[in-house]
Amino acid sequence: MTPLQFENLYRADWEELENLLAAVRGKREEQRLTQGERVAGLYRCVCEQLALARARSYPAYLVDRLERLSSEAHQAIYQQRDFGLGRLRALAAREFPRAVRAHAAYVWLATAVFVLPCLIVGLIVYAQPELILSVVDAETAADFERMYSGNEEAIGRTRDAETDLAMFGYYIRHNVGLAFQCFASGLLAGVGSLFFLAFNGVFFGALAGYLTQRGFSETFYSFVVTHAAFELTAIVLAGAAGLRIGHSLLMPGRLPRRQALVIAARESIVIVYGVAVMLLVAAAIEAFWSSAVWIPPIMKYSVAAACWIAVIGYLCLQGRNAR
Amino acid sequence: MRDAEPAARATAIESLDTVVSAETPEGIVIELRPAGVTARFYAYLVDLLIRMMVLSVIAGFAGPMGGLGLALVLICAFALEWLYPVFFELSSWAATPGKRMLGLKTVMDNGLPITPAASFARNLLRVADFLPLAYGFAAISMLVRQDFKRLGDIAAATLVVHQPKAIPNLALSNVEPLAPALPLAIRDQTALIALAGRAAGLTAERLDELAAIAAPAAGTTEPGPATTRRVLGVARWLLGWRS
Repeated sequence: MTPLQFENLYRADWEELENLLAAVRGKREEQRLTQGERVAGLYRCVCEQLALARARSYPAYLVDRLERLSSEAHQAIYQQRDFGLGRLRALAAREFPRAVRAHAAYVWLATAVFVLPCLIVGLIVYAQPELILSVVDAETAADFERMYSGNEEAIGRTRDAETDLAMFGYYIRHNVGLAFQCFASGLLAGVGSLFFLAFNGVFFGALAGYLTQRGFSETFYSFVVTHAAFELTAIVLAGAAGLRIGHSLLMPGRLPRRQALVIAARESIVIVYGVAVMLLVAAAIEAFWSSAVWIPPIMKYSVAAACWIAVIGYLCLQGRNAR
Repeated sequence: MRDAEPAARATAIESLDTVVSAETPEGIVIELRPAGVTARFYAYLVDLLIRMMVLSVIAGFAGPMGGLGLALVLICAFALEWLYPVFFELSSWAATPGKRMLGLKTVMDNGLPITPAASFARNLLRVADFLPLAYGFAAISMLVRQDFKRLGDIAAATLVVHQPKAIPNLALSNVEPLAPALPLAIRDQTALIALAGRAAGLTAERLDELAAIAAPAAGTTEPGPATTRRVLGVARWLLGWRS
């Protein structure tokens, strides 16, 4: 068969597939479904014709057209669109807490790397408050003191022209970015995650120790304790996900290093989805609830206790029995 | 000996070229052409410009709105920083506007369309690529690897590829089909058709030189434009045209 005959024989099919692919792109769901069978059928035919055209050394333009057509159809047919509501529900109900439990060892390690420096530095700074200056500069320390002194109209920040909403935006940008950093730097053999966990632990510990020593414990703890349930947990989880990635590079086990890394990234990214949502919740709480001075501390402590129980219960228990 | 040639040629191309071959479940091989540092750098610049422009427009509108406006700007800055590439890579473009402008596309390294998990992973791991400064690790990784992956691409098993441009149809309508003067092996036929395919991109003199090699097939020996026309006529005949 000459290339010309071949082309004339199948041209109608190719044009139909080209038109269908153009229609599939950017069209609504039901149209996609009705045309799917025809697209798949034509795609298989084009694959066969491409193999023939290559084996028979047909001219480049012909092989090229079939290559582009089959590659386009391949992309359209195998595209995964599993990020709808169903997938979100599955993530929240099963996949995220399960992924956390599957990485329990990393979560414990990350917790230790965060909590130990936090406690140690906290106690040291409590004993010798001037040591806060080796963590932050004098101006920042004075700022913190002012923010938590209880004389401001909002806790946890100096209220210039800022409003709760603006702080909400700031917390999202800052905290979610921080968690992503904590995760991604795990790619550097885990060192980055360890660093960010310990760094945040030291910072938080120093601040807590200093403010406690200065006698602002009630304003400070009633401010941080509620959103900490989400924020600190999320940072630790992001660090745990990063540690998983670093570990897969250092000790890939029986897999090739690259394969181990790919699997680690695929499995730990589920944790990062959950972390992002937790940080959004934390940002909302921090901006609208924690900073409000009209809520009595006892109320804040009760809500905080409920939040901590809810978060830990969710991570430990949710999705155990589901299919 | 003949049979070994295509395989040897394939390995030569693999070791010289940067093509990545991916086999589909239907049993055909898709050739992916990974994009190098330069193209991806330009794509990144375009994206950066777009993001900065969008943000400054939003800031212009939201600025006078006080706290609400500031919140809007900060949330948009966050979304543009982290979600902008994910959003566009999961759209039917499979590329950010910058990549699309440069004719690039993000796919899985087995030729499949990019999955949401892979897109999130490669874009969040950007942080590690950015270190120690100005995408240093990304540049090193892309320069030492044959498939130009940055760290995020390695972990997510993705590949940024050039979208192939269409090869134009043979423009041979002005020559008369001519039956070959002697029987031609498949390889010779392929070579003649390939020559005809490149004819439009060659200078007339170079085309004459190349056509002269194939002159016996057209039943002449003298090089020159007339012979070239005859050789192209043979190619047209081989494609299936008859006068």
